[in-house]
Amino acid sequence: MGSFMKFKQKPLFVIVLIVLFGATVSGCAHVEAWERGHLAKHQMAVDPQPLQNHIQLHNYSSREAAASTHAVDGGGGCGCY
Amino acid sequence: MVIKPSGPNNGSYHKNTSNVIKKTAGVAAGGSKTLQALTSAAVVLPGLLLSSAQAAEGDHINFQYSRYQEGKRNLFGIPNSLDPIRADVLHGSGVFSLTDRAKFSFNYTQDIWAGATPIVTSPLAADPYNRILENTPDGVTVTGASPLINPSRGVLLDRNLTPLHRTDGSQDTRNVLVLASASPEVRNQANFRLGYEWDEAEINAGAGFSLENDYRSSFGNLGGRMDFNQKLTSVKFSAGYTSSNISAILDHDAAPYLTKTAFSDQIKRRSDGAEILRDERRDWSFNLGLTQILTKYALIDANFGYTFSSGYLENPYKAVTAIFVDPDELNNGLSTPILGDVRALLEQRPNQRHQWAFNAKYIQHISPFDAALHLNYKFTVDDWGIHTNTFGASWIQPLPGGWTLTPRIRYYSQDSASFYQPFLISEQNFSSQAFDSQGREIWVDALNPDIEYVRDGNFNLIDGTGNPVDESILNVQPKTIPFDAEKLPNNFSSDHRLAGFGALSGGATLSKEFARGVTLQAGFEYYTRDSSFKLGGGGGSGFADFDYYVANAALSINMEAMGGPGSGAHAHHSGHDKSNHKSSTHTHRHQQPAGLMFAHMLDNAGDFMVGYRFMYSRMGGSLLHGSHTVDDQTIVNQGCGNEDLCAFAPAEMSMRMHMLNLMYAPTGWLNVMIMPRFMDMEMDLRELDGRPPPTPDEHQHFGGHTTGVIGDTLMVSLIKLYETSGHRFHAGLGISAPSGKTNLKFRRTFRTDGGAVHYGMQLGSGTWDFVPSLTYTGEYHRWSWGTQVSGIKRMESRNKSGYRLGDLFQATTWLGYDLTRWLTANIRGVYTLQDRIHGEFNQFNAGIGPMDFPSNYGGQFWNIGFGVNAAIPSGRFAGNHFGFEWLQPVHTDVNGYQLDRKGALTASWSYQF
Repeated sequence: MGSFMKFKQKPLFVIVLIVLFGATVSGCAHVEAWERGHLAKHQMAVDPQPLQNHIQLHNYSSREAAASTHAVDGGGGCGCY
Repeated sequence: MVIKPSGPNNGSYHKNTSNVIKKTAGVAAGGSKTLQALTSAAVVLPGLLLSSAQAAEGDHINFQYSRYQEGKRNLFGIPNSLDPIRADVLHGSGVFSLTDRAKFSFNYTQDIWAGATPIVTSPLAADPYNRILENTPDGVTVTGASPLINPSRGVLLDRNLTPLHRTDGSQDTRNVLVLASASPEVRNQANFRLGYEWDEAEINAGAGFSLENDYRSSFGNLGGRMDFNQKLTSVKFSAGYTSSNISAILDHDAAPYLTKTAFSDQIKRRSDGAEILRDERRDWSFNLGLTQILTKYALIDANFGYTFSSGYLENPYKAVTAIFVDPDELNNGLSTPILGDVRALLEQRPNQRHQWAFNAKYIQHISPFDAALHLNYKFTVDDWGIHTNTFGASWIQPLPGGWTLTPRIRYYSQDSASFYQPFLISEQNFSSQAFDSQGREIWVDALNPDIEYVRDGNFNLIDGTGNPVDESILNVQPKTIPFDAEKLPNNFSSDHRLAGFGALSGGATLSKEFARGVTLQAGFEYYTRDSSFKLGGGGGSGFADFDYYVANAALSINMEAMGGPGSGAHAHHSGHDKSNHKSSTHTHRHQQPAGLMFAHMLDNAGDFMVGYRFMYSRMGGSLLHGSHTVDDQTIVNQGCGNEDLCAFAPAEMSMRMHMLNLMYAPTGWLNVMIMPRFMDMEMDLRELDGRPPPTPDEHQHFGGHTTGVIGDTLMVSLIKLYETSGHRFHAGLGISAPSGKTNLKFRRTFRTDGGAVHYGMQLGSGTWDFVPSLTYTGEYHRWSWGTQVSGIKRMESRNKSGYRLGDLFQATTWLGYDLTRWLTANIRGVYTLQDRIHGEFNQFNAGIGPMDFPSNYGGQFWNIGFGVNAAIPSGRFAGNHFGFEWLQPVHTDVNGYQLDRKGALTASWSYQF
């Protein structure tokens, strides 16, 4: 339980960090709609190759112990090998 | 046009631009600035930039195949004849717009994996492998090694409990993985998602399930996205829940040697003797993310995830070596080596886990190259003590001609779980003799172990009240006390995925966008785990290092970019479309039965068609000899050739095949097509009545077995021979390439080689085959009809496994009637003649039943088919064609002894553009 208490602080900290970070950058950056041509390109997408990415994440998760930020999607099976 | 995005968004960009003009016209002011605003503002439309990539694309369909192949594990010189793990993954997915704002998406994934996997880690000094010896002309040689998870000789330890080398007595601190092989296993996963978008927000809900023999899970999730600050900032959130049921069949070779006392409540024995471990686990996940545009050239995406898991979090197939040392012997004051009792205990993990993950991705446009650099960092932590760091980078480089090349590299490091240990040492006996308060040995009856006895001074058995007992009516044995689990750690695992290690991987993806929204992608990645790569060093699990590669190939079809009738982006195709519609009212409605191949031709030069066909067939019921059912005793005596007796026969067999179909018309009279095939088969065996008695080395087949996944690949040209109003003849010349395996083997059990899997369960012919066909089609008003003869001629006398499948001839005739403008019903008759198999396996095959003998294949088969075809004429899904057909066997006349047929279903989809 001790270790749990220790970790419990971390998510809160990270959430605060994200919100602060978001507020800060959104305050100073100002990119007009017509200036976003490069950002709209396929290579600038957050996940430009979802099919390959999905396969890679599946392989990593069956061979490594790291937590995921995609766990919400569910599935993946046992990975019992 | 000022900005023209390259890559697969091309089509949706065009479409969206026209929408934007309406939405932003009132805002923009001033001549050139207006134009700039109009053309550029496309990118701020909902879904195009700030949502997930899947939502960003228009309606599309994807197919992907990938192979995961591990390298051999290092066993320190112990011969290792086991095949490493291989997994084949088939994936199909699609996104469809239901309305302008509502989207439906689905995913289907099938994995088949087989190979050798570690079940336990052992000190090398315990020598946990039995050498497999074989007589050869050169004398006895070692051909492999089979695992021993309980080496009965134990292990020698010094007084500091360090393992000692068995022969020279030197300290040996090396560990080694104990591998066991697995027969192929299949996993199927299906999930769907519904999403609804507003201009600055989105919500979605999804659900699905994943099915394996030993693991079933179902899951659901809810999520959303909100855009702020003129879409410079986007916040994402989601929550998911997964419920899983484990029913693991413990390896029937290993189970007798495993200590399972900690899970005795969960383990049940099935009627066939198999031990099943049943339990449950639940996972709750939450995600919060932020996407922020930083400059005209850069954005950042950050995500935070939390997962709580509870229940059975172990891997039911992993055990931990525990060395039991007698404390009396250890403390007897001598310095000679002592003998440790080597046992294997099922691993025990905590039944809860809290995990946190933080992931940040920075994306920078590199203007001189028009490329994008993606930098990724992930940090995770959990209450099992595992911290991980991941650094990744990729460079996405668009090239002329629709090509994109993406090299990437990744480094990963993790700490070990607090309860990870390669093996345990416990200073107690695994089991010891029980004594009563007076120091006398306690005895019990094996059948009634609760009643205790002791022996008096004359070695006579007496009960608790001191009265003598007649020993001849009991089965007495000394009472033993098992080890005290309290003296072991609460949790222990030697799964190397919980050890400390680092990993380096790199690869590249190459994609090419063809005209009209068809994209082909191929990727490769090489991954190497190395204990010494761990951040800060000290991984200490080098014995578990391995490497793997993954190769994948994908086909994406962007239906909006294809310019099909329903896409809304077909202005420049309109002339072409008109001719298509026109011809479709005459000769070209694609109304042939769904199960029929090579019967449909594209009419116009330049036409493309993509198609997918799913076929399911089942055999079951009685065994036939010729066209008559036959009793078990006859099969025992005659089904396995002149020299052998049959012991087993198939009870049921099913086959699923997924076939892709890519078709192109370079000219009006010639079509070329390629059809990769993927399949999986399942067979259940039963013991025959009157079978010969089992031998000690008999091949045990508990339940069913499975094979998959790549089948043979067809390449066909269709040539128009003659056409007049309402009538057409065309010929097909095809080649079938032997991409399906014909040397699949059953797993080796401890004592016996599994041997080749039955002929009918191998995945291909193994030979290059010639596949000709001749088709006539006709139609008049609402009626359509046709006839086809086709064949398969094996062009080699033997495949590399020593046999060839029989040649095949097929004739079919059909009649169709248009029920409505878009729906056709059809009926057909099919006659098939197939020769028996020639030659035989040139490797060991167990020969346990009729399915292992070449003369029991082929025959004459008569079927009637009932089908419907639907061609969606208008609306959002216009241009899609669906077909279904059921083939009902009406008469069967088999060669030799075979299982009866129960029918076959075909479902097909195609899209022509």
